[in-house]
Amino acid sequence: MIWLALTLLAPFGAGVAILALRRAPAAVAIAGAALGLAGALGLFASMTRGERIGAGLPFLPDFPISLEATPLTATLALLVATVTTAVLIHAAGYMARDPERVRFFGTMALFVAAMELLVLAGDWITLLAAWEMIGFSSYLLIGFWHGRPGVAGAALRAFLYTRSADLGLYLAVFLLIGRAGTSDIAATLDVTGTPALIAGLLLLVAAAGKSAQLPFQEWLLRAMAGPTPVSALLHSATLVAAGAILLIRTAPMLPEGVLVAVGLVGGATAVVTGLMALAERDLKRLLAASTASQYGFMLIAIAAGAPVAALLHLIAHAAIKSALFLGAGVFQHDRESTALEALAGAGRARPGIFAGFALAALALAGLPPMAAWFSKEAILTASWASPLAPWLMPSALAGALISAAYMGRALRVLWAGSAERAKAPVPFMAAGLWGLAALAATLGAAFGPLEALLGAAIAEGPRFLPLLGLAAAAGGLVLGWTLPPDRLLGPLFRQAETGFGIARALEALSTRPVLALAEAVERLETAVLSGILASGRAGLALAGAARRIDRDAIDGAIFALVDRLWGFGQRLRRLQSGLIHRELALSMIGIALLVAVLLIAPLSS
Amino acid sequence: MMGRDLSFLLPELVLVGTAMLMIVAEMLRAARLGLAIGLAGLATATLLTLPVLDADTTVFSGTYRIDALSGWAKLILLPGTALALLMVRAEIGGRLREGSVHALIVLVTLGALMLSGAGDMMLVVLGVVLTGLGSFALVAWPRDDAATEAAMKFLIFGAVTGAVMIYGLTFWFGGTGSTLFADLGRLTGRPLVLAAGLTALIVGLGYKGALVPFHFWVPDAYQGAPVSIAAYLSVITKAAAFFALAQALRDLPREAGWPLALGLIAAATMTFGYLAALVQSNLVRLLAYSSIAQSGYLLLAVVALGASELALPALLVFAAAYVAMNLGAFAVVLLAGRELSDLEGFGRAHPWVGLSMAVFLFSLTGIPPLFGFVGKLGLFAAAIDAGHLWLAVIGILNSVLGLGVYLRLVVPMFAASERHGAMPMPAPLLTVIALTLAVTLSFGMVTGLFLR
Repeated sequence: MIWLALTLLAPFGAGVAILALRRAPAAVAIAGAALGLAGALGLFASMTRGERIGAGLPFLPDFPISLEATPLTATLALLVATVTTAVLIHAAGYMARDPERVRFFGTMALFVAAMELLVLAGDWITLLAAWEMIGFSSYLLIGFWHGRPGVAGAALRAFLYTRSADLGLYLAVFLLIGRAGTSDIAATLDVTGTPALIAGLLLLVAAAGKSAQLPFQEWLLRAMAGPTPVSALLHSATLVAAGAILLIRTAPMLPEGVLVAVGLVGGATAVVTGLMALAERDLKRLLAASTASQYGFMLIAIAAGAPVAALLHLIAHAAIKSALFLGAGVFQHDRESTALEALAGAGRARPGIFAGFALAALALAGLPPMAAWFSKEAILTASWASPLAPWLMPSALAGALISAAYMGRALRVLWAGSAERAKAPVPFMAAGLWGLAALAATLGAAFGPLEALLGAAIAEGPRFLPLLGLAAAAGGLVLGWTLPPDRLLGPLFRQAETGFGIARALEALSTRPVLALAEAVERLETAVLSGILASGRAGLALAGAARRIDRDAIDGAIFALVDRLWGFGQRLRRLQSGLIHRELALSMIGIALLVAVLLIAPLSS
Repeated sequence: MMGRDLSFLLPELVLVGTAMLMIVAEMLRAARLGLAIGLAGLATATLLTLPVLDADTTVFSGTYRIDALSGWAKLILLPGTALALLMVRAEIGGRLREGSVHALIVLVTLGALMLSGAGDMMLVVLGVVLTGLGSFALVAWPRDDAATEAAMKFLIFGAVTGAVMIYGLTFWFGGTGSTLFADLGRLTGRPLVLAAGLTALIVGLGYKGALVPFHFWVPDAYQGAPVSIAAYLSVITKAAAFFALAQALRDLPREAGWPLALGLIAAATMTFGYLAALVQSNLVRLLAYSSIAQSGYLLLAVVALGASELALPALLVFAAAYVAMNLGAFAVVLLAGRELSDLEGFGRAHPWVGLSMAVFLFSLTGIPPLFGFVGKLGLFAAAIDAGHLWLAVIGILNSVLGLGVYLRLVVPMFAASERHGAMPMPAPLLTVIALTLAVTLSFGMVTGLFLR
């Protein structure tokens, strides 16, 4: 109970304290994160002793707001707290000269508190609220440098994309609560049949939006406009992870049909966004596309019926991707750009940082004995045994090959080239990076005990699977290091560079119709005012009636009122051309429709 | 008998007395005294409501209801009116006939209370007329072209819809031989009579509540009227219309078809309001269309009446949230200016007011943990509980549109701009902003209790 409170309240208190006191923001934020980490560790330790903690509001036991610590949620809380601490230490260096540090660290701390709330939520209402809060605080963080061109638009896009997909979560939650009669998450997972199918598909929409799966991947690439520590946090253990976490938590409920859909989305995303990463010309955007691709892997694992494998990959990816972003942040500081062209040789100028970055990159490629090797192995094994293997296996293998290839390419670019202009040492940034890179390398050893704690072991697969995975990793790395992407991809390169036109298609399908509709409504209003309605053929009879009413009834009334009471003779002319009668005619149509509905509705019921 | 009835009516009686005293103060040219009397009267009436909050009875032979709905309605409408008085003071304080405006507002609120306690058709008509007459005069107060034309349009729409309403309600009287809502059950099996009265009620109260297609007067009236009056009309008389609708429909069988009709109107209102708001460049018109959209949301709770226990609590909670956040947003407009471009850089020049505006707008969108989020959650839950999943879907889809509308205000507010320097910050306005902000921020949790 104390640990639970500490995990949540330490970052929250730090955020409030920073925004209120406005001094020493970095120190307070790191202290808050460290306390939160201590809380999460305590929570995790009590899980290993077999305890289960649930908490409601002390003075309102019936209120549908509760937290729960199970092995799964406690593991996730620990993950969030660990990554946060490392990222904040890095940010203390990265943001050292930014005049708006207070706002940055304050928002970061609140963001983390919201994420912990989401992870530990025991009921849907809490989860919904936390879900919205992380969406909103990430909007603030992505738009942190809102003065720069394009940043406000990117933040808005991120918010609108994820919020549109959030509709799925709302509907799914309402459906589940309606079916189960309670908002307790664990209890609603007993729902079966068609409601479970519909709810599962809706949850998939929500998860795809947050985790940047096809066709929603575009916002994540644009969200790179924010400060790099924000990207490190968003991609690894917070915003983007929320989607995968949602599916992992609800996996026991998902029926076969939903799993097929999850597998289709995940497999397609793993390959398509991987190709996009390979064709990318900007290091941060490359990493972003890679994030979407890696979450595709997690969806594959869920579709294969092995949410534990997805969780392992989530953990491995969190450490790896945040390390990669922190490395990219150092290079960005050195060259004041993240374009790959500008970064050529940036790694050789800072061998220490490059080593950390390379360690994480090799881990992401899936080389043993690092973390992602184990999790990718688990995903391949599960895919092999799954009935969906004909789709999951090829896409997982292709995804693994492509991820090794783009990491190989990134390493090559950073190493080859001129190694000039190394600036002053960066102790804070290096400390954050190395802490995470060390985790990325060694976490694999903890996976066995973790599986035991979660009570879900992964079955052994055939012997050749590890070899296949290793071949994909090594082959991809060699290909990426030696061949430039346009030779490697051939005709696919142009397509991959433009994101396969998915973003444009989505824009054409959603944004533009809404704007067009808005303009149409505006035109309708203007049309009413310019009298087009009355001249319409169908409206002729109606217009006649309206004119009669207008002349005999309304105008008469106006004349009488105005003449007798106010004597606004002059204004009368203006009012007459104010076309109230046309608007009233519309109201009359409305009344007619209303009568029709009221007469028909009782018959049908 | 009479004594008992009057004891339940203490809040209303206090309000009548307050209005009389305010008119006397205006005759003495003591506008500040009038304002003080008004605020004290509203506070007294609010306090007198508390003891009868648990009552569930009627007075004057069943025509006026003293129940949970009317009680909580008073607790929403009376403090809301007090805030509106402060806004009026800030906007037109010291000008000619200021005291008349104050007194008229209190009288219109009396009409609003009647609407929210109506147990009888005649009381609905009386409430609509009482709120209507005062409102026309309030809109026309500036006596310039725009205000006069706006008031005219408002009046004509009121006259037409009022006529339709009174005409249609006579069918109900003819069918039941009584004007009490409680006797409407006798109409079962007479669909034509039922439909006529329902149409009448929906037209009359839909006009007051700014529902599509009876909303045309709203943007013009708000734009022509002083901003504080627009704010008042957008919350008090509108909320009262929905309370009256709820009072009447509680006694009607759902089989009469009104849930479907109102559901369609709600969907149209939400969608139309937000779509039209997306393309406005005048801030007051934008807020007018946004408030039309919010009417559609309020209607969700009415649609769920009789099929969901949550309907009435959801209506009250969202109404309270709406009153607070909309008044707050209008108060900021009063400070910033009437055009969308007036907001550019406003949040930077005045961070506290800018942040408050952001909170109001995000609450209108429905972002947790603000009051508006809890309100909308209740509305959707009620609609789904009543079996109108499609309506909740439309409502949720529209909240994305709403986000687009409100972000159009928030984003430029914090852009760099040199437009705004130091400006006077009238104390009454700051009070309004502070109070509505406190409610918007903190009541989300408190009302959770109430929804249970």
